[in-house]
Amino acid sequence: MPVFKTPFNGYAVKFSPFYESRLAVATSQNFGILGNGRLHILNLNPSGPISEFGFFETSDGIYDLTWSEDNDNIVIAAIADGSVKIYDLSLPPTQNPIRSLHEHSREVHSADYNPVRRDSFLTSSWDDTVKLWTIDRPTSVRTFKEHTYCVYSAAWNPRHADVFASASGDCTLRIWDVREPASTMIIPAHEFEILSCDWNKYDESCIVSASVDKSIRVWDVRNFRIPVAVLNGHGYAVRKVKCSPHRQNMIVSCSYDMTVCMWDYMVEDSLVTRYDHHTEFAVGVDMSVLVEGLMASTGWDELVYVWQHGMDPRAP
Amino acid sequence: MASQSNIPSANLTTENPQLSETTPATGEDVLDAKASPTPSVFVNTEPMREDQVQNAVKFLSHPKVRGSPVIYRRSFLERKGLTKEEIDEAFRRVPDPPPTATSAQPANTNQVASTNALPQAPTKVLQPPAAAPGADAISTMGTLAQSRFHWYHALLAVGVLAVSGAGTALLFKNAIVPRLKSWIRKVVLEEDELAKKLNSKPSLAEETAAAAKAAAAAAADVAKASQEMVNSKNEEKMYFMEFTNMLDAQQREMRSLSNSIRKLEGQSNGLGRNSFVEQEDYRSAAYSSSKQPVTNGKADFDVGSVRSSPSPASAEQPLPPHSKSYMEIMAMVQRGERPPNIKPWETAPAQTMYGSDVKAQDNGVTYEMNGDNPAPWWQRKNVNITEIGQDETKTAPYSIPANDRPLQRTWVPPLPPPVAMPEAAAAIRQPKSTIQRDRLTDDQLLARASEGTDELQRITKISESGGALEMNDASSGQYSSEIQEEKENGYEEH
Repeated sequence: MPVFKTPFNGYAVKFSPFYESRLAVATSQNFGILGNGRLHILNLNPSGPISEFGFFETSDGIYDLTWSEDNDNIVIAAIADGSVKIYDLSLPPTQNPIRSLHEHSREVHSADYNPVRRDSFLTSSWDDTVKLWTIDRPTSVRTFKEHTYCVYSAAWNPRHADVFASASGDCTLRIWDVREPASTMIIPAHEFEILSCDWNKYDESCIVSASVDKSIRVWDVRNFRIPVAVLNGHGYAVRKVKCSPHRQNMIVSCSYDMTVCMWDYMVEDSLVTRYDHHTEFAVGVDMSVLVEGLMASTGWDELVYVWQHGMDPRAP
Repeated sequence: MASQSNIPSANLTTENPQLSETTPATGEDVLDAKASPTPSVFVNTEPMREDQVQNAVKFLSHPKVRGSPVIYRRSFLERKGLTKEEIDEAFRRVPDPPPTATSAQPANTNQVASTNALPQAPTKVLQPPAAAPGADAISTMGTLAQSRFHWYHALLAVGVLAVSGAGTALLFKNAIVPRLKSWIRKVVLEEDELAKKLNSKPSLAEETAAAAKAAAAAAADVAKASQEMVNSKNEEKMYFMEFTNMLDAQQREMRSLSNSIRKLEGQSNGLGRNSFVEQEDYRSAAYSSSKQPVTNGKADFDVGSVRSSPSPASAEQPLPPHSKSYMEIMAMVQRGERPPNIKPWETAPAQTMYGSDVKAQDNGVTYEMNGDNPAPWWQRKNVNITEIGQDETKTAPYSIPANDRPLQRTWVPPLPPPVAMPEAAAAIRQPKSTIQRDRLTDDQLLARASEGTDELQRITKISESGGALEMNDASSGQYSSEIQEEKENGYEEH
C-alpha cells in the first residue's frame, strides 16, 4: 500500500469525485498552530508509489478541502487565516488561486461541496458561522449564525439539495434548510464538543456525529431524542467521521488515539476493523466514491496512506 | 426521487399530527411544494412539552441567569434538548416578573413564619434584622433550585451565633459583674480591719518599719549598682555585636567577591571587571567604617553579573530543523517566538508547482493503457482481512524522527483553544513589544540597584544600633529573589 510523505502535518484528505486515482491532501505547518500550508494533489499509480501532480503553498495552514462536483479541476481549500481559496488545476500556478474569499473572521475549519446542485458550497468556521457560497460569486450568498461556539463541520445532505447539517463546539447538531430563515432542527447530540458530522448516503434521515467524548452517535432526524446507535471504542476524541458511499451501515472514523476505525452500526459489536498505522493524531479520512473499499487517511505524522479496506495500510 | 416522496407521507401517519413549527413545512422539490405540500423530514414536528417549558422558565427566572447574555441562555436550553418552540415560549413567559412573583409569595410567607420561630434571641432588638435576611433568604429559596440552600443556611447560622453572643454579653454584664464588685468590696473591707489591728501596736512596729526602710534603701542602692553594671555589660555586648556584624558583612563581601571573580573569569565582560577592581581597592581602604562605597560596589557588581547571565542562556538553544512536538510549538508560540521553519510569504508563491503532467485530462487516460495490470492495484479486492500491527518492518521509507514523543500521553485538546490564536497572532504581528521590554528591564535594573543601596544602608544602621541579625537575612533574601526575577526577564528577551 503506498504512502506519501508530506512536508507538513496532514489535516484533510479527499478523493476526487471524477478520477479514481486522484486525491488531494490539505496540510499545515507546525501542527496548524502557526505557519504555512500546502495543498497537495496526488495521483495513485498502478505500479505502486503515489506521485504528486502538484502542490499549492498558502500563507497559513489549510484545515480542510473539498473537490468541486461540477468541474474536475476545481479544489476549494479552507484556510486557517479565515479565507477560502479556490484552485484550478487546469491553470498554471501563477494564476492560482483563482479566488480568495475572505469573509470569515476566524479560522475556516471545513468546506463541503453540494453534490446535488453542484454549484454551491459551504464553509464553517470558528467564528460560529456557516457560509454558503457559489463558485461564480465573489461574496457569500448567505451566512448562518446560530451556533454559540466554533462550527467544526458542515455537511450537505446527499439527497436534498437545500438541507445541510452543522456540528459545533456548543455540543449541538443543527439541521438547516437553505430556504428557511433559521435552523430547522437542533439535536443536542453530545455532552461535549462535536467535531464532525456526516449524512448517510443511503438513508437521507440518518446522520452521524463524532465528538470529543470519544463516541460516534448515529441519529435519525425523525426521532432525534435517542440515538440509533452509539459507537464506543476510540480512546480519544474522534476527529472525523465519514459514511461509506458503498455500504449503508459502514462508517469510517479517525481519532486522536491515532487509529482509523471501520464500524458497522447495525451490528451489536460495531467495530469491524481498527487500523493503527499512524504514529500521531489521525486527523483526516476519506472513502472513495468510485472504488469500493478504497480509503485514505492522513495525520499529524505527515503521512498519507491509501489502502483497500481489509488490507494492512503499511503493507508494501 | 420517487422513494423520497414516500418517506415524508409515511411520516405523517406515524408522527403526531400537530405541526407546531413557526415556518411552514414545504416539500423538497419546487414542483412538489406547489402540488402536494409534504412536510420536510428535517423539521421538528413534536408538540411543545409543558414540563420542559416550565423548567426553562424556572431556569430563566434565576437571578444569576438574568445577568448572563441571552445567547448563552439559549445555548444552555438547546443543549438540554429543548426545541426552538419550547425555548421561545419560555422566553416569552419569563419577562413578566409580577405575575410569577405574586403567585410565589403567599407560599413563601408561611415558610418565613415557621422558620422565625427557630432562632429564639433573648434581646428583641436583634430579632428584626435577623429575621429580615432570613425572610429574604427563604423567599429566594422558594424560587430557586436546591443548590443555593446551604449558603443561606450558613448566613442563618451566623445570625444565630451573633445573637447568642450578644445575649451572653448582656447576661455577663447584668449578672456576674455586680457579684464581682461586691466580692472585691468585701475583700477591701477585710484589709482595712486588718490594718486597724496593726496600728494598735505602734512602738515595736515603728522600729521594725524604720529598720525595714533602711534595708530597703540599701537594697535599692545595691539594685542601682547592679543595674549600672548590667547596662555597662549591655553596652559592651552591643559593641561586641557590632564588631561581629561588621566582620560578618565583610566575610559576605569577600565571598561574593570571590564568586564574582569566578564568574568574570568565565566571561569576557571587561566592564564588570573594571568596576569590581576599583571597588575592591576602595573597600580595603574604607574597611572599618562600612559605609557608602561598600554598598555602591556591591550593587554595581551584582548588576553586572545579572546583565551577563542572559548570554549563555541564548547560546544553549540550537533549533532542530525538523518536527518539534506539538507542545513545544505551542509553548514557543505562547512565549511569542515564531517557529523557525515558516517561510515569509513574499517568496512562497514561487513554490507552487506542478509535476511533469500539466494537463489534467491526460492522467485519467494513461493509466488504463498499462498492459501489465488490467486493473490497478486499488481495484483488486483482497478477501483476506489481515491482522493489523504484525508488519513492523516496512516503515523505513517514510519513518519519522519523532522519537521524543512518549506513547502514554495525556489527552491533548484537539485544536488550540480559540483563545490561544489571537495571542499568538498578536505576538507575531507586534515585534515592537520585545524592544519595549528591553527598555523596561533596564529601568527595572536601575530601580533595583538603588533599592539595593538603600537596603544596605538600612542594614548597616541596624547593625550599629545593635539590632537582630534576622533583619539582615530577610532583606537580603528579598534582594536575591529580585535578582532571580531580573535573570528570568533577561532570559525571555532572547
